[in-house]
Amino acid sequence: MVQFNLPDNSKLTDGDYYKLESEDKRIKKFKIYRWSPEDDKNPRMDTYEVDIDDCGPMVLDAVMKIKNEVDTSLTFRRSCREGICGSCAMNIDGTNTLACTKAISDVKGDIKIYPLPHMPVIKDLVTNLKNLYKQLKSIKPWLIKQKQEATDTENIQSRNDREKLDGLYECILCACCSTSCPSYWWNSDKYLGPAVLLQSYRWLQDSRDEERKERLKELDDTFKVYRCHTIMNCTQACPKGLNPAKAIAGIKQMIAQQ
Amino acid sequence: MESAKNAWKIHRLTTILLIPLIIYLFVRIIHFSGEPYQLILEELRSLWSILFILIFTVLGLIHMRVGVNEILEDYIHDESAKKVINFLISSFFILILIFVCLSMWLILIF
Repeated sequence: MVQFNLPDNSKLTDGDYYKLESEDKRIKKFKIYRWSPEDDKNPRMDTYEVDIDDCGPMVLDAVMKIKNEVDTSLTFRRSCREGICGSCAMNIDGTNTLACTKAISDVKGDIKIYPLPHMPVIKDLVTNLKNLYKQLKSIKPWLIKQKQEATDTENIQSRNDREKLDGLYECILCACCSTSCPSYWWNSDKYLGPAVLLQSYRWLQDSRDEERKERLKELDDTFKVYRCHTIMNCTQACPKGLNPAKAIAGIKQMIAQQ
Repeated sequence: MESAKNAWKIHRLTTILLIPLIIYLFVRIIHFSGEPYQLILEELRSLWSILFILIFTVLGLIHMRVGVNEILEDYIHDESAKKVINFLISSFFILILIFVCLSMWLILIF
């Protein structure tokens, strides 16, 4: 049975308050989820005051400023800071998004930041994405050719066939969509989730791939695809503006037509 | 690995088939309102009404059964609990079908 209540050691408590001196500044409060495996304490929400006139425009800028200037123990992933790597995916103001592309000015009031929902937390805002990567590997996200010699030459694709990959290849695997999906929350061990299914559809749509039948056969299972109930949280959450729900509908249609 | 393609197709197909039937049902209910009881009974005894009720019930029950099964797959992870609940739900739906058939039979004979 699904457990609906949080276990006692997961209940959030109020954390430390880092006040900024001087009253002339334009101050924004950042409430950030903190948890460390190094102690036995419950997760807490620390509050940091940040002068937004002395900080970059994005949430990631503020989080980095906090780490650099206020609390070096704050842990999070980041890399490209321009919405390409997907490392800084986190739950900001109730929505899964990339901290580097979310503007501070887009959030009214205090900014609450949590790790991606329903994922095991490694520390603070860093979640364990092992399961997602294992699922990604299971769909074989690469071009498969039947004959080995076919890989030695260029695989030409028509303009129309290439266009079919638009809206699919842009996925950066930030996991914002999968971790916003209630079906993935309940069945992440068996349901592949929107991110992986979007990738799967990308390879199913590739005219150069020769394993479409096998790929579809692998997906035709009670859990892998059909736990999607078109809730559309994935499409709403995607920071790249992609539509994983449409891709999943496409997979279902392809399986049905087989 | 159990294929889920057929369950998905059945769910979609019954959805499409039920849409016109539900619209027709509402039209009939509005049409019946204010009519005398005896006239409604006469209408229900017609072959078309009996066919409509039976088709509607069977399609509706199949649709509900597949839908409930989806919910079970989502939330019940214990296989033995799933089997027991599945049995109870199937029995419940069979009872509904028996009840509808019995009602039709009673309308016909009285």
